[in-house]
Amino acid sequence: MSPSEALTPTLDIDEDLLAIRLRGVANRFGPVTIHENLDLDVLRGETIGIVGGSGTGKSVLLRAIIGLRRPTEGSVTVLGHDVWEDGPNGRKALDARWGVMFQDGALFSNLTVRENVLVPLREHTQLPEKLITEIADLKILMAGLPIDTAMKLPAELSGGMRKRAALARALALDPDILFLDEPTAGLDPITAGRFDELVNELKETLGLTIYLITHDLDTLRDACDRVAALAGGKVAAIGPLDYVREGATGWLADYFSGPRGRAALG
Amino acid sequence: MPEQAQFEIEMRAGAPVLVVSGDWTIHTIGELDDLLRPLRQQDGPKPSKVDVTKLGDLDTAGAYVIERILDANQGGRFEIEGEHRAAARLLVEVTKHAKECGKPVKPEGVVTMLLERIGRGLVNVYNETLETLSFLGETVFALGRAIANPKRVRWLPTFAVAESAGLNAVPIVMTLSFFIGAVIAFMGKTILSGFGATIFTVELVGFAVLREFGVLLTAIILAGRSDSSFTAQIGSMKMTQEIDAMRILGLDPIEMLVVPRVLALLVMFPILTFLAMVAGIAGGGLVILTLMDISPTLFLSRIQQNVGATQFWAGMAKAPAFAFVIAIIGCRQGLNVENDVISLGQNTTASVVQALFMVIILEAVFALLYMELGI
Repeated sequence: MSPSEALTPTLDIDEDLLAIRLRGVANRFGPVTIHENLDLDVLRGETIGIVGGSGTGKSVLLRAIIGLRRPTEGSVTVLGHDVWEDGPNGRKALDARWGVMFQDGALFSNLTVRENVLVPLREHTQLPEKLITEIADLKILMAGLPIDTAMKLPAELSGGMRKRAALARALALDPDILFLDEPTAGLDPITAGRFDELVNELKETLGLTIYLITHDLDTLRDACDRVAALAGGKVAAIGPLDYVREGATGWLADYFSGPRGRAALG
Repeated sequence: MPEQAQFEIEMRAGAPVLVVSGDWTIHTIGELDDLLRPLRQQDGPKPSKVDVTKLGDLDTAGAYVIERILDANQGGRFEIEGEHRAAARLLVEVTKHAKECGKPVKPEGVVTMLLERIGRGLVNVYNETLETLSFLGETVFALGRAIANPKRVRWLPTFAVAESAGLNAVPIVMTLSFFIGAVIAFMGKTILSGFGATIFTVELVGFAVLREFGVLLTAIILAGRSDSSFTAQIGSMKMTQEIDAMRILGLDPIEMLVVPRVLALLVMFPILTFLAMVAGIAGGGLVILTLMDISPTLFLSRIQQNVGATQFWAGMAKAPAFAFVIAIIGCRQGLNVENDVISLGQNTTASVVQALFMVIILEAVFALLYMELGI
């Protein structure tokens, strides 16, 4: 099934074709319910863009998927492993198969960029030091940074470069799934555009599945196969950008038809 | 289960071809690396073609290892035989970057590095001194303005600091001072009994606690306790750009953050010193009264006559100076924090170390001063 035909949150296909599968996920903070009975299927090899207003729980959902915050109810399956039920071994297998780029990079500030990229390589492989150093440099270059940034500390880099360095670290182990939390937030439009190109290029080369949280309409247009809109605690709409846009109501309609939406999407 | 990565070099039509099979991913190439490295250095014809027909999974790390064998002698040109879903793309992508990988970034000589460090250290000491002095000036100026116009003082934070840095320190200051007083009395009894002058233990305790230890102990505790918290508080505000926000809103960070802390310590430090003195005398007195044949009346009258109020004021006079130095160093280090976690840690350490250093230096200055004055 190609992403352009997948127009419902749940897809009736073989589980091997799914990268992420959420069923009945609920997230509550005390009396506040963020998600209720949320279902979502993400195909392998697609780039899915997650949109939603502030407080619709985009980040909470991400944290539930990558195993940082247990959802109140429901199951989260990534690459066939249940993130919350498979126990430490299941998680360990996933640690090497997903890469996460946090919103502010979350680079270790006392390590140089190269050392940051080396962290997952040291932890999850038994390769000789020389080889992993070379691989780390390769990732830094693939993320579009010049090689002399390898020896710099995160504090010495600009915002855009920090995001690229974080991307290099997320790519260190050649993950199957890449999670990007607002990758272009805080970047100037030109840098953001280059970042979108880079993501597309890497996806093309490495055959990644990308789960991307963004507010950036340009990113949705240029980098995403499908868009999933969160509203009312569920996936309110899902499909290719144009499809979601046509059926948009409420917040989503404002989002797409506001001046910024019109400027980006025409 | 991944298949073991394997390779062979076959001669086909007179040219060597690298035949790869199995899965070449970051998890399988470990053992191969040792075998492949010597291949790069070895003489003779090297493969410029790679056969990927039997290749399983491939990722960038695997592609990098394959590319290195080929690239070593062909200047990046190679041919791919057979079909593979990712090999061509990955090999081309890796080739673009492979040359620059793993190069050590300009190694510097030990001597150069040593000289650079010494130079940096010296310049730092100079800058640090200069900046502390200029900060001192700024603060004095702001304090002057605050005193001239008490409405400008932020009273709420001032009282909050007075509570957390002053009131909450009372138990620890008094406890430690009590024990120091007792230790001095024990020491005096042991040493002075050799001269048959145990009675002078009373004077020893009085002089030591009132003139030196009461105020010094308070200074040391506050330097450790309050300076670290001042630096961490102001430093984390700096990191979250709160200080920048204050400046933009027309609020002076010195007036908002430094003046309340300085004022609070200026008031609380003498009070803590007084309590430390009381506790120290009590500790010494307890030892003297229980272990020696000295009555409470005798103890108190000897303190009054032989030690006297002069020593009390000699100690108290140091309190404002110490308070000022401690508060200023803590605040300045906080405002100096840069936008990373390392500098927060470094500055917190620096603030405690500098404050202790300055307290001891001041203590020495006061000792000289009192000697000249004959107190």
